[in-house]
Amino acid sequence: MTETDRPETTPTDAVDSALESLSDDGLEGYNYAYLDEHTKREVRRSILKAIAVPGHQVPYASRPMPLARGWGTGGIQASLSILGPEDTFKVIDQGADESVNAANIRRLATETAGVETTTDTTDADVIQTRHRIPEEVVTDDQILVLQVPITDALRTVDSSDAANRRRHAHKNYGKMWVHLYENVVEWGEINIAARYPTMVAGRYLMDPSPIPRWDVPKLDDADALFVFAAGREARIYAVPPHTAVEPLAFEDRSFQVERFPDQACDVCGSTDTYLTEVDDASESAGSTGSRGGIDGSGGSRGGIDDDGGSDAAETETGSDAGDDGRRYVCNDTSFCHKRRSNPDLPRDHHLDRDDVDWGPGTTAADRGGEST
Amino acid sequence: MRALGLDPVHDTRETFRALCDATSRPATVRRLPVAPGDHAVAATLVDHEVTTHTPDDDLREALAAQGRYEAAEPTDADIVHARGVPPWDVRDLERGSLVEPSEGATVLYRVESLESDPEDEDEDGDGLSTVTVSGPGVPETRTVGIGLPAAELEAIADAQSTAPRGVDAIFTAGDRVVAIPRSASMSVEAEVEVV
Repeated sequence: MTETDRPETTPTDAVDSALESLSDDGLEGYNYAYLDEHTKREVRRSILKAIAVPGHQVPYASRPMPLARGWGTGGIQASLSILGPEDTFKVIDQGADESVNAANIRRLATETAGVETTTDTTDADVIQTRHRIPEEVVTDDQILVLQVPITDALRTVDSSDAANRRRHAHKNYGKMWVHLYENVVEWGEINIAARYPTMVAGRYLMDPSPIPRWDVPKLDDADALFVFAAGREARIYAVPPHTAVEPLAFEDRSFQVERFPDQACDVCGSTDTYLTEVDDASESAGSTGSRGGIDGSGGSRGGIDDDGGSDAAETETGSDAGDDGRRYVCNDTSFCHKRRSNPDLPRDHHLDRDDVDWGPGTTAADRGGEST
Repeated sequence: MRALGLDPVHDTRETFRALCDATSRPATVRRLPVAPGDHAVAATLVDHEVTTHTPDDDLREALAAQGRYEAAEPTDADIVHARGVPPWDVRDLERGSLVEPSEGATVLYRVESLESDPEDEDEDGDGLSTVTVSGPGVPETRTVGIGLPAAELEAIADAQSTAPRGVDAIFTAGDRVVAIPRSASMSVEAEVEVV
């Protein structure tokens, strides 16, 4: 049980080899899937109630986990309550499978729940994700668990949880509409980068977690179950499959996803995926560094930064000329990997239907015309 | 829960997954790992943090032996168990409040039969009512046959009509399970007649 036998040095070339070098002692004696059955029962009751009242935030106990709250503890509790030995588990952090946080969550699940893990979206039964929904279409056999830092979309307009719960009770979302209106006045369109306020089944306003606007349409009438779990705020909510999920917008100011005019992924060439701006102006131009963040070398760049690296890029272009140091890469590294060997791979390649409506750029109409 | 013939870790986890599927896709028939299904569902959901009402002595003893049975009257209980048509009225059960609708009761019916395609079943004339649901989890409409009288199912529909306040219904027959959460709108047709 003591941890005195750690090797002095930990290899730092890749996350997985670093993790493998750490000792595995001390897991015997834990219950299956780390959590005790009492905790799992409570999480499970909350998940079922959350599914029964789509979009409503159901309180649960949120036990202490072996990492700090705010690092995915809600997602882990939900995942570990769902996972079984025959499941395959995928964890992504901002689209990347190889971030330290994602790798550690996978490792906890492998060791305590005995699950297989994968980086392939189409192979996974349960996908725990932080701030992205995969590019590939999810199916009705899959459950997505989204990590949630802030559970209430109304927090933006009122910091009082009690007042916001009353607003949800009476479906009183006037304050959010005013917020959106002010946004239009200031920017000419609704300019909310993430946590876009979204109406679920025409009843509850929901914070879809900090996924980009790009991913919000994927929640609407999807085939998979989405479970949103917040560890710090101790709330669980859910969007069942085939549920109407509508981003709030005005008749004359429609909901807009991110646009990447004239940009393609620097690695796979995709023009129809969510791209992350990365800045490597400090490196000399050339192919040596062009795949950083994709091949699992710790994910220090490309697809991890919350702000898509735009801060860094802005300071750079302030003094420097042009776009030289900036490039775009796919945020979903697993799909980018597949696109590298097959650039025309559609996002519904694993289904027996074509033109599945799965977010921006998936339907023929999307691909043919301008963005709406 | 070994007293009920089920594995306390893996059978309850599989039961939860079946409930998860059943609740997120109302009116689909799912399989539980063990029969009778109402025991598996109770063992998965019930502990001392919720109040329970059950007419089933075996279930009550097994739960009480682990300190997981907090008895309550049906009108106060969080989880209410019934075998067939209950003596209480499902419309009187706890529906939660508008601020916290998740406090609405879960009502668990053990029924004789559940059929995913009630029109096909001309053998089963024993009180199989046809329920059609729509709403979240249902692409258009979905139909299921539930072995309860139409009057009881209409009472459930009534108890769910105040959604988001309301009760969530789970039906089990052997190892089959069907859930109709309050988010679903259900309409009940007359019992299937044997022609």
